[in-house]
Amino acid sequence: MITQPNHVPERLGLLVTSAVDPFLTEELLKGEQVHGGIDLAKVVEPLPEDDARWWVEPIRSLVEDAMFEFREDRTLADAWLAPRLHATLRLTRREAADKRLWNHLALAVAPDYVVWRHLSESTANRPERRVAAERFRGPADRQCFSRLWWAAELFRNGSDYEPVELACGNQDLIHTVLRSELIDHRPTAQALVRLLKSGQVSGGREVNGLSVAINAAGATLIYDVLAPDRPRDPTRLRDWIAEAESAPPVQRYELPDGPDEDPVPEESVAALAGYFAELFETAPVRGRKSGD
Amino acid sequence: MKFYPYKRLNRPVTLRVTSVSLKLSDGTRDQLETTAYSTQQQAVALGIAGHTDWVSATVGLSVTLPPGANAPDAAWSDLCVLAVLTDGETNVRTSANLTLDVEGGRDWSGSLEVFRDDHLGRASLAVYAVGTVDGVRGRSIAETDRNWVIDAVSDEPVHGLRLNVQKASFRKSAREWLQVYADAPWVVDTSARVPTVFVNTDVEGIIDLLDSSGSGVDSKVRDLLVAQMATDVWTAVFHGAIGDLEVDPAGGPVFPTDWQGEVLREMLPDVIPGVHVEEALRQVHRRRTGDSGWTELQTRIHYAAVRRADASKALAFVIRGLEQMNRESET
Repeated sequence: MITQPNHVPERLGLLVTSAVDPFLTEELLKGEQVHGGIDLAKVVEPLPEDDARWWVEPIRSLVEDAMFEFREDRTLADAWLAPRLHATLRLTRREAADKRLWNHLALAVAPDYVVWRHLSESTANRPERRVAAERFRGPADRQCFSRLWWAAELFRNGSDYEPVELACGNQDLIHTVLRSELIDHRPTAQALVRLLKSGQVSGGREVNGLSVAINAAGATLIYDVLAPDRPRDPTRLRDWIAEAESAPPVQRYELPDGPDEDPVPEESVAALAGYFAELFETAPVRGRKSGD
Repeated sequence: MKFYPYKRLNRPVTLRVTSVSLKLSDGTRDQLETTAYSTQQQAVALGIAGHTDWVSATVGLSVTLPPGANAPDAAWSDLCVLAVLTDGETNVRTSANLTLDVEGGRDWSGSLEVFRDDHLGRASLAVYAVGTVDGVRGRSIAETDRNWVIDAVSDEPVHGLRLNVQKASFRKSAREWLQVYADAPWVVDTSARVPTVFVNTDVEGIIDLLDSSGSGVDSKVRDLLVAQMATDVWTAVFHGAIGDLEVDPAGGPVFPTDWQGEVLREMLPDVIPGVHVEEALRQVHRRRTGDSGWTELQTRIHYAAVRRADASKALAFVIRGLEQMNRESET
């Protein structure tokens, strides 16, 4: 297993995807050897220097804590790291949609974490252990760090990260639902987590079956009417981002607080959770007999 | 043809943008000119006034429902009209309720707030007429047939995705990865945020040619060159998008939510004609991942790229231009 590169930059930057390949070597994907960091620094575009959010140290220390704390079961690290990464790296969605930032984080700042978290287990079919390249540079719902940040952004309920912890504790949920547009509607995302929390839905097949059913019903139903969300006030997020300058490191044992935005209206979550539960009873789920 | 298990209107909702204003960071408002939006292109360009410090945009909307929406014997009740803005890059979904202009009419209006922090590029705007049908709330009974594009950065309201053309000396560029391509006149980058062509300024005269304007043969050759670059780009984009397709739990391919999905939707009707784009995507995906048919498909992919790049038109103009030139030199 590799360690961090010899040269880790002090500040986050932007790394274009076309410049990534020379550093994404076979040795790195096998978790055997990492680049030195010096050559990579030459192709990085810097971010504004007067912004405290781009300091690397708080993120570096988070991933090191995660690797230590979850050394016995690395998949559990997702639920711990997602809210804390989100509260440390305070971004607007516009900034978070820039893949260059995530490329830099994965390749230059914490390639050791990517390998630690995503190196495949050796199996009979594929004895060679390997990290999929998309964990370094890939779609937002696959890349090692952006998937966690977006899971936190889409599942938080205002400032409350508890639903994020629940959602990220279910690998199937973040693996299949994160890529679908249905959770862009906040009440839908909260209703899904509520079914998970109450135990009405669990396991990969059930989550898949439910998300297929929600999508199918969504072709004729407009969930925004069934479960309205309230308008957002963009200044709340701006204020939270501005506070990054003076914010202490995120708590390791307690959940941090997110931006002070209004939670989803409770009536809307309750209405949709009830509706989804009904849908789920009749949804075809692989491996479940009808009438179970 | 979709099947709906309830009564609907079979004609689409029409949507017009009636005004656009920006709220700037100093609290003032800038009412944008009408050139910021185009009904024909169904596009709004929020970057038109050159502001980079705007906080939010207010887009005024006017909607007409198809005939029958307000019929007294209609199968629905609780009619409401909703404008929904979605952005696949930032996973934003914003909706706004519109209000009925005149009791008993079919015209609705209202406005939508678009936040600068929520969008990197292009978002998509649709309108739904929603009602309670057979006791089921929230049924969509009619919607817009083509989404409007709200572009947060563009300075020209165009519906189709434009190429980003960048000029650079490949040998000396700060983008080190370009150096290995030093002997190419241009390269295509489909991994950037929008499809980008880097033009190599080390090739002498290429910039003069690309910047040429007027009616001479130069400008027609330029158009042909641009069409050639565009053909390269759309071919590369198509392959890139198809190669990275995500698969849903049922095993079917899913349209990418960013501009790659946009390009696929435009090109697929030329690649697999005569079927719905969803079915076309399934067929293409099967051919690429299955045993056979991928090689055979290349001609069609190239054809779709040529069409999208308007290469035939550019070539025809060059040939006409050359003919004219020859005729003039003979006389």
